[in-house]
Amino acid sequence: MTKRIRSKIARGSADLAILSLLEEQPLYGFEIARQISERTGGALKFTLASLYPLLYEMEKRGWVQARWQANAAGRDRRYYRLTATGRRQLAPLRQEWRSFFQALDDLSGVSHA
Amino acid sequence: MPDWKKLVQRRMTAPKLGDGLKEEVTAELAAHMEEIYEEARAKGLRPKAAMRVALQEVESWSDLSRDIGITRSTEDAMTHRTKTLWLPLIAILFVIGLALVLLDRAPALQQLIWTACMALLFCTAASEAANLNERTQRLWLPGFASMTAASLFFFGASMVSDPSRFTTELGLRPQSLRLESGPGLTFYISWVTAHILFGAVGAYMSRRAGGTRTARVLAGMFPVLAMFLICGIVIPISAFARHNLFVERHPMTLVFGMMIWAGIPGIALLAGAAPFLKEEQAAEAIAP
Repeated sequence: MTKRIRSKIARGSADLAILSLLEEQPLYGFEIARQISERTGGALKFTLASLYPLLYEMEKRGWVQARWQANAAGRDRRYYRLTATGRRQLAPLRQEWRSFFQALDDLSGVSHA
Repeated sequence: MPDWKKLVQRRMTAPKLGDGLKEEVTAELAAHMEEIYEEARAKGLRPKAAMRVALQEVESWSDLSRDIGITRSTEDAMTHRTKTLWLPLIAILFVIGLALVLLDRAPALQQLIWTACMALLFCTAASEAANLNERTQRLWLPGFASMTAASLFFFGASMVSDPSRFTTELGLRPQSLRLESGPGLTFYISWVTAHILFGAVGAYMSRRAGGTRTARVLAGMFPVLAMFLICGIVIPISAFARHNLFVERHPMTLVFGMMIWAGIPGIALLAGAAPFLKEEQAAEAIAP
């Protein structure tokens, strides 16, 4: 699955993608976008314009916390860290998406395609 | 290397964001674009092509500005900790303090709770300064600074002037202080005099944040608003609810109390704020 998915599903899966990534380690915006793109083989891709409103929304909801710190290159970057509230969001989100794909699979055998 | 900050600054038009927040968003977006540019350059693209790649990240700057304006709106940008810990804690303390005032119990604790509420509110607001909207920076934060200073002074001076009376009599009941007595009068005069400084603190902070003259006056007058609330609302309700015969027969006591505890300190606050109101008058005079 290397084609870029440009759909509402991809948009809707953004929360899960970002939270899952931040569950592993705190990252800053560019790194989040880069890792999501790399790890999904380019299927999910965030532009600056699509990423930051999402991150800020998550921050507003208390799912992530951000703070400025230097990256490996010594440049100040705003790192996002998953909060306990964000962590609690992950389980139901995962379950929701599992059910969604299961339903699609049952309907059309997508996973065997 | 393009100046990404300037580039983002020019394109971002998020009116809802305060200056501090806008600067932070600009810095973050500029850093992101810079990395995209550098990545493209590292892949061998020429500067112009790399710049195009970076710019392609945003199809519509006005849409992005709007989205960010909504999501990072300073009107609701409090951190999670503030929302889930500090504000509920302050609210609980406030309710306990109010209940004690109405029940006329534990005077020293009333003082302590009130002072703690003020200090917590101010610290919370100060810690959220970067996220605060302009009105909060220009009015509420300076106002709470002024009120916190006044509360701390009242608390400290009460303890110093007469610790034994403080624990038994002096709650948030201003009329219980006997002004005819030497220590009481000394305490009152020093308390009123200190209000000049508190008024100045509020007005100065408001002016520094770019507050209008009205905002500066209000920020400087904040402590008196609390006293007005206590003398004009809490004490009368408490007195009539408890059928305080003296107050019922002499309602003018309340007016007198209000004058002593809100009117005169109010004048002192205004006097303190006055020097910080002048600049705007001058600006207005210059403005066409």
